[in-house]
Order: sequence, then C-alpha cells, then structure tokens
Amino acid sequence: MLKELDPLLHSQLRLAIVSLLVGVKEAEFTYLKEQTNATAGNLSVQIQKLKEAGYIEIEKKFKDNYPQTICKITTTGIKAFEQYVEVIQNYLKPKK
Amino acid sequence: MKTIENEINQNLMPEESLQIINSMINAAKNKLADDGFHLIFWGWLVTFCALTQYITLKLNIEWGGWVWMLMPLGGIVSGIYGHKQGKKQKVKTHIDSYLGFVWGGFIIAMAITLGFGYAHGIKSTYFFLMLLYGLATFISGGILNFKPLIYGSLFSFAFAILSVFLGEIDQFLCISAALILSYIIPGHMLRSKFKSQQHA
Repeated sequence: MLKELDPLLHSQLRLAIVSLLVGVKEAEFTYLKEQTNATAGNLSVQIQKLKEAGYIEIEKKFKDNYPQTICKITTTGIKAFEQYVEVIQNYLKPKK
Repeated sequence: MKTIENEINQNLMPEESLQIINSMINAAKNKLADDGFHLIFWGWLVTFCALTQYITLKLNIEWGGWVWMLMPLGGIVSGIYGHKQGKKQKVKTHIDSYLGFVWGGFIIAMAITLGFGYAHGIKSTYFFLMLLYGLATFISGGILNFKPLIYGSLFSFAFAILSVFLGEIDQFLCISAALILSYIIPGHMLRSKFKSQQHA
C-alpha cells in the first residue's frame, strides 16, 4: 500500500531526524538524541544512512576537547522530505 | 515522548508519520531563540551612561564623558556571555541565524555611526543611533514574533524624531527614554517569557 513512500524516510527514527533537521539550521547529535529518545548507537547508524543517501551532512569537530557531531539537512534531503509529506497527504485524502 | 527506536517500517501508518513530523517540527519551532540578556544588559548600561552624562553636563562636571569607557567593558561581558551561551547551544535555528545577521549588521552600523557620524555634527550621530536601536529591535521583534519588542522599537523611532528638535544635552534623555522603552522593558518581558518556557 505504501510502496511509493521513500523507504529511507519511512522509518520512525529517520523520519524524526529529518523532521527535526528540516526546522533548524543545524543540530548537535546530542540534541537529536534528546528529542528522539533514541539510543546513541541506533541514532549513529540512522544518521549514517541518511548521510550516505545525501539527505544530511555531518560535520565532526571538537568543543572543549569533546568530540561534537553536527547534522544539517541538505537540499536533496529537503526535497525528499517534501515529496514524502506529499505522498503521505495523498494517502490521507478521503477516497472518492 | 515515547522512544523512537524501531527499524521495521512496514507497520508505520501515514497518520503516525504525520504525528512524528508534527511533534519533531514543533520541538524546534516552539523554542524561543532569545533570552533577552543582551537587550537588558545593553539597555541598562547605555541608559546609565547617558543619564550620567546628562547629569554631569547639567552640573558642569567635566568627567562625565569618561563614563562611556564602560562600553568596551560591556562588549567584553556581552562577548563572554554570548560565547558561553553558544557553548551550551545544541541546536542552531534559522531564527538564531537571522538574529545574528541583524545584530551583526547593527554593531557594524553603530561603529560606523559612532566613528564617523560626528562629521555631520553630534546631534545627527544620536539621531542615527536611535534609528538603529529602533530598526534592530523592530526586525528582531518581527523575527521572534514578539510584539512588545516591535511596539517598543517605535519609541526609538519617535525619540529619534523628537531629538531633532531638542538641544545636544537633552539628546541623552532621548537616548535613555528610547532604551528604556525599546530595550529594557521588552527585554525583561522577553526574558520572563523565555524563563517561563524553560520551566514549562
């Protein structure tokens, strides 16, 4: 039934990550972890998948000698998200 | 919020997808981007300096102008606070970015006005300073969707016009009044809204 939906976004955690990043300029890994309540391991795996698809950019740097991961949505990611929302809306439209 | 962990997508219904999207977008959207610190801090500091200058000029006391030496000190305090806040910040919203550009541009325009404005007389310098106060708070109020800041900014514009008709010494009273109404009062209101949101 939902075959048209982007399989990469049709996952609770990845959809949550992209939805969070759509609304902000950039977010730290810890922020995504707090908002999604996901485990660090699972979140790492999912952001890596989104990065490989070109949906997000990941920047690794140091803040006060601690490693910091910053995630940012790309134009491809925004387009994919918009398309996903459009498909979802079509599914939710009342059938004639 | 319930934990988002599962990797199995087959059971994710369109309604659930929309719910996830809504809750995540709202998480970032509802965050008030400004705690009002800089508005309050600079509002009080410049008001104090302007009033000190006004009183000392009225009383023919010569050292009044030295009070403006507090400005670089204020810059250091403000810079340290901004740096500390930046360290704590885990997410940067588009609003943070827009506000950064507004106040960055404001600082540049202020420096140019203070540095070169005297070429057209000190009165025009104060006139432009108040216009800049008004412009920066008007735009910030719009970006933050915070009406007290927008209404407050109108007082800076009004006092800029009023200052044209007043003498040089009275300009300091105009600056103080503009800052109290455009910075200090809206700044405290913004801070209390920010704090109530933190505790919500």
